[in-house]
Amino acid sequence: MHSTIVRGQNVFGFFTSVCFFVAALIAASDLLAPRTPKATVSVKDVQVVRGRPHYYSTKKEEYAVIRFSLSADLSSLFTWNTKQVFVYVSASWPNSTLGEDGKGELVNEAVIWDSIITNPSADHLQNIGPAAMKKLVKSSKGKKIDPSRGKLELKNQKAKYQITSPTGKLAETDNVVLKVHYNVQPWVGVLTWTPQIEFGMWKKVKGGVSKVFKFPALKAKKEAEKKKA
Amino acid sequence: MLSALQNPRQAAAQLLNFGLILSTAFMMWKGLSVISDSPSPIVVVLSGSMEPAFQRGDLLFLWNRNLMEETKVGEIVVYNVKGKDIPIVHRLVRKFGVGEQAKLLTKGDNNLADDTELYAKGQDYIERQDIIGSVVAYIPFVGYVTILLSEHPWLKTVMLGLMGLVVVLQRE
Amino acid sequence: MADQLLEQVREAAEGQIDFEGQKLAELLATILLCTVGGISFLYGYFLQDIKLALYIGLGGTALTLALIVPPWPFFNTHPVRWLPVGGVEKQQQAMQGIMVDGQLVG
Repeated sequence: MHSTIVRGQNVFGFFTSVCFFVAALIAASDLLAPRTPKATVSVKDVQVVRGRPHYYSTKKEEYAVIRFSLSADLSSLFTWNTKQVFVYVSASWPNSTLGEDGKGELVNEAVIWDSIITNPSADHLQNIGPAAMKKLVKSSKGKKIDPSRGKLELKNQKAKYQITSPTGKLAETDNVVLKVHYNVQPWVGVLTWTPQIEFGMWKKVKGGVSKVFKFPALKAKKEAEKKKA
Repeated sequence: MLSALQNPRQAAAQLLNFGLILSTAFMMWKGLSVISDSPSPIVVVLSGSMEPAFQRGDLLFLWNRNLMEETKVGEIVVYNVKGKDIPIVHRLVRKFGVGEQAKLLTKGDNNLADDTELYAKGQDYIERQDIIGSVVAYIPFVGYVTILLSEHPWLKTVMLGLMGLVVVLQRE
Repeated sequence: MADQLLEQVREAAEGQIDFEGQKLAELLATILLCTVGGISFLYGYFLQDIKLALYIGLGGTALTLALIVPPWPFFNTHPVRWLPVGGVEKQQQAMQGIMVDGQLVG
């Protein structure tokens, strides 16, 4: 500590240690916040139509067009260390070859809808237009965290992504199920997903799985086009 | 500096010390690599395609073992594409099948379209072997120095200059 | 001339403080940074505001740097009092040259 340079180095060095320690404390404080998410999801409408993966493709594939309703309360996931919660709904279905129990494993899974819910502390990082940004910032003005953003109420929501399978066949698939998942992105620390087991104060999602449904037979071409128009 | 020439014993000690620091860092890196079974257990985010979750310069810790369950949809993975040397950090959005042959599709949260365009020509899906790890932990901003240094090479000169200044101004 | 100038710049850049000052600086730096870390975490946690925690941490560290790094006068209140070199004669001799093992050199 005898000269300016040495003092600067020492103070900075100790500063990094303190930073690391405080960051670890912040990450650990997540464990003190109970997580009790719940969700209900139900299929409203499902059709299978034929289409091309992109405009210039000559390949025709079967696409599932799904409408669903989602009611979720993820407000307990928002703490000071939450940067964003990524909510997504996936469809899972077994392969056509059935397993020994005649049911088959849910070996295929595809995200049909997702949404990024930022905490107010991360609003400025969202990639949205200026008007939408203004609205978002205004929606929780003065709040440091905003758990109310975790309450979702979607009625007859159209899927964001139209899904297909590598074989291009999807029609008449049984035992399809929709599931709600989340991914909590912290400001510092461990990323967490929908838990498979209860862990301390973190509970499993209550509900969050739809009733089993099936992808119907292919819609007649004309009808499908009429729907599109 | 001159004293180091006059005193070879001290110079050797400094050299050894420097070597020790380097080899410790290397050992920790390789040790982490073995534990996580990933060739690169810590990566720096280089693009904004996962915003707002990850910004450029954030540090990600990877895990590449499937102890309890398979890599599944929703996980954020780092994967390599044949013919491209920079690994990509994106989220898994589709998975068809199980095991090593499962077909996986990824998409960046901030991108409108999925990654089919980013894959090698004629490749529609990636496989488990293309993945070098799933993101498990996150530290913001710390890796930004590496981005700065690689994007503004003159900063290296500035740093060398500063170091030289310190040496000149220090009395022996 | 250039040597003298360099010596002056070195003197200013070096910013030496005395031994008591070094002890004090070490202690102050440790205590201040720990306190800043503690305050930033507690405030952040109880007000659930991570940005506040960041700003407190950075601001506190900047203050600490400003207090510790420059050679403030209060780090130099215990100058080292060297013993006089032998008697008065020797002191005069010392002014003329350097003593090595009691012999005058140079």
